Amino acid sequence: MKIMDFLHHRAVTTDIKAKTKKEIIAELLDLLVNAGVIRNKDVLYKVLLEREALGSTGIGQGVAIPHAKSDGVKKLVAAFGISKEGVDFASLDGEPVYIFFLIAAPDDCAGPHLKALARISRILKDKCVRDLLRDAVDAKAILKIIKQEDLRN
Amino acid sequence: MSKTFDILKKTVIVQNQTGLHARPAAAFVQTAAKFDSEIILKKDKQEVNGKSIMGILTLAVAYGQQVTICARGIDAKAAIIELEKVLIEQEKPAAIKEKK
Repeated sequence: MKIMDFLHHRAVTTDIKAKTKKEIIAELLDLLVNAGVIRNKDVLYKVLLEREALGSTGIGQGVAIPHAKSDGVKKLVAAFGISKEGVDFASLDGEPVYIFFLIAAPDDCAGPHLKALARISRILKDKCVRDLLRDAVDAKAILKIIKQEDLRN
Repeated sequence: MSKTFDILKKTVIVQNQTGLHARPAAAFVQTAAKFDSEIILKKDKQEVNGKSIMGILTLAVAYGQQVTICARGIDAKAAIIELEKVLIEQEKPAAIKEKK
C-alpha cells in the first residue's frame, strides 16, 4: 500500500489555521469535503472526536494521526496538513503537533486501516522527512515529498 | 562496573481483534517507557524500538499474529511480564465502554 493510494491530492495543506484539536479535525475534514471524497462530515467529525476522547492520536515527535472508522466513507481516505506554529493536541509526549494525517475508513476496514497507519509511520519515523514536510512551501511540495518516499520503501 | 544483561524474549500472539493499531501501540509504548530496559518488538524479520509508537505501527500487527518482545536491562523480566499483558489484552469495543 502506498500513501498516494489513499491520500487525496486535493486534501493537502501547508497552512492549517486552526489552533485547537476540534478545529483542526474540522479543518482537515473540510479538505476531504472540498475534494469530494466524503459524504457526511458531521458523522466523521463526531467519530473522530470520540476516538480522541479515548486517548490522543498525537503519537509524539510532532505528529498526530486522527482517525476513525465510519460508514461516512466508501473507502479509506486521508487528508494531510501542516501547522507551521504547532498546536497543543494533548500528545503522548506533551509536545506540540505540526504534522497531521487524518484517516477515515469504512467500518469493515481493520486490515487496510492498520496498513495505512504502518505506511504513514514508516515515512514519518524519519526525522529528515518530518523536517522536509514541515518546511514545505505548498501542497505541491508536500505531494512531491510523499511520492518520493512512497517509491523509496 | 557496568553489568551486562542477557536479552530476554517472549513470543506472544496478539489478541486484540483489530490488531496493534494506534491505541494498543500507545499502551505498549507507555508501558515500555516505565522500564529502564531496552525493549525491541519483532514481527517476522522486522524489529522496531518498543518505546516508539511509530516504530510499532510500522509492523502492522494484525489479530492473531505472532510477535516477540525482547528486553535487555535490569528490569527486563518485569518489563516482559507487563508488555505481554498489553499484547494479550482484548480490547473493549468503544460502544460498550463503562459509562457509570
